[in-house]
Amino acid sequence: MAKKPQTEDAQLDMTPMIDVVFQLIIFFVVTLKMSAEQDETIVLEDGKHGIELTTEELPPSHLMIDVSRTGRITINDYPKGGRGYADNIGLLTQKVKERVTRYGADNVPILIRGDIDARHEYVKKAMDACTAAGVWKLSFVAVQEPKGPNWQKLYDQVQGGKRRKTPWVGQQIERHKKSGAIKPSKK
Amino acid sequence: MASKRKTMDNPKAEMTPMIDVVFQLMIFFVITIKQDDLFCKLNANRPAPGSSASSSSEEDTSIKIDVGTGGIFLNQRLMSHADFDAGIAKLAKVSKDATVLVRCTLDSPHHYLVEALDVCNKYGMYNLSIFSM
Repeated sequence: MAKKPQTEDAQLDMTPMIDVVFQLIIFFVVTLKMSAEQDETIVLEDGKHGIELTTEELPPSHLMIDVSRTGRITINDYPKGGRGYADNIGLLTQKVKERVTRYGADNVPILIRGDIDARHEYVKKAMDACTAAGVWKLSFVAVQEPKGPNWQKLYDQVQGGKRRKTPWVGQQIERHKKSGAIKPSKK
Repeated sequence: MASKRKTMDNPKAEMTPMIDVVFQLMIFFVITIKQDDLFCKLNANRPAPGSSASSSSEEDTSIKIDVGTGGIFLNQRLMSHADFDAGIAKLAKVSKDATVLVRCTLDSPHHYLVEALDVCNKYGMYNLSIFSM
């Protein structure tokens, strides 16, 4: 009787698998974006024809002022609580002045990130603080290409009944549903 | 001597826990990665000190856009988005360098202002000034 061939344990070569896994980790580490805190309640208006915000447009000296629909004015979601700088607009002016003194008025891009329903009087407060600090050129942040978070948030807020659905908001939601930027939430 | 040689040959590293940790890290990154909206900025100027929305030197040549609670007014006529777009397109054909005065009431919602600035940018009109009323 012939000897049965001995079954040997099949050995899986792990080295190439580890190489591929490390490549994937390096990819995710490089693409992970760490961003400064912002007021997450703000929903931005569409602005397809603005200047795209790249790292060149946002040097370290830039200042992004958030204006929420309740009139809360913050920078990097600070100060916490209350209405932020809206309760003490002099502090905001001082902050802008410090930045301007350090970098020069032409080298401090000021961007105002206003909610779609924020009253102009709240935005005016932020603008007045900038002009008091000697900055006359301002920019307003808008969404060039919604990829989900901005309008999905608005849609969920409206569907969840937390927000009044104005005719304008309804039109925007319909437009973004058609473009596929938002998906209807399952009921 | 022979035993010393034996222990020095082919040191074996335990790969299984390392692979487990590496996969844990990958799962973390797959879960936390998310696509962000693409943002842009719309430039505008605030008036210099001493100037007002109705300064006589700019009155005849400037384009006036009024932003209120009801919508956007172009040369004092309420416009829908499409009409406003067409109106600005016509004005841009005449002169892209014309001064555009955007006058906003205090109770107007911010999205009308951004919409007005966006349409002006669309047709290459960048000489924008914002006044508050």
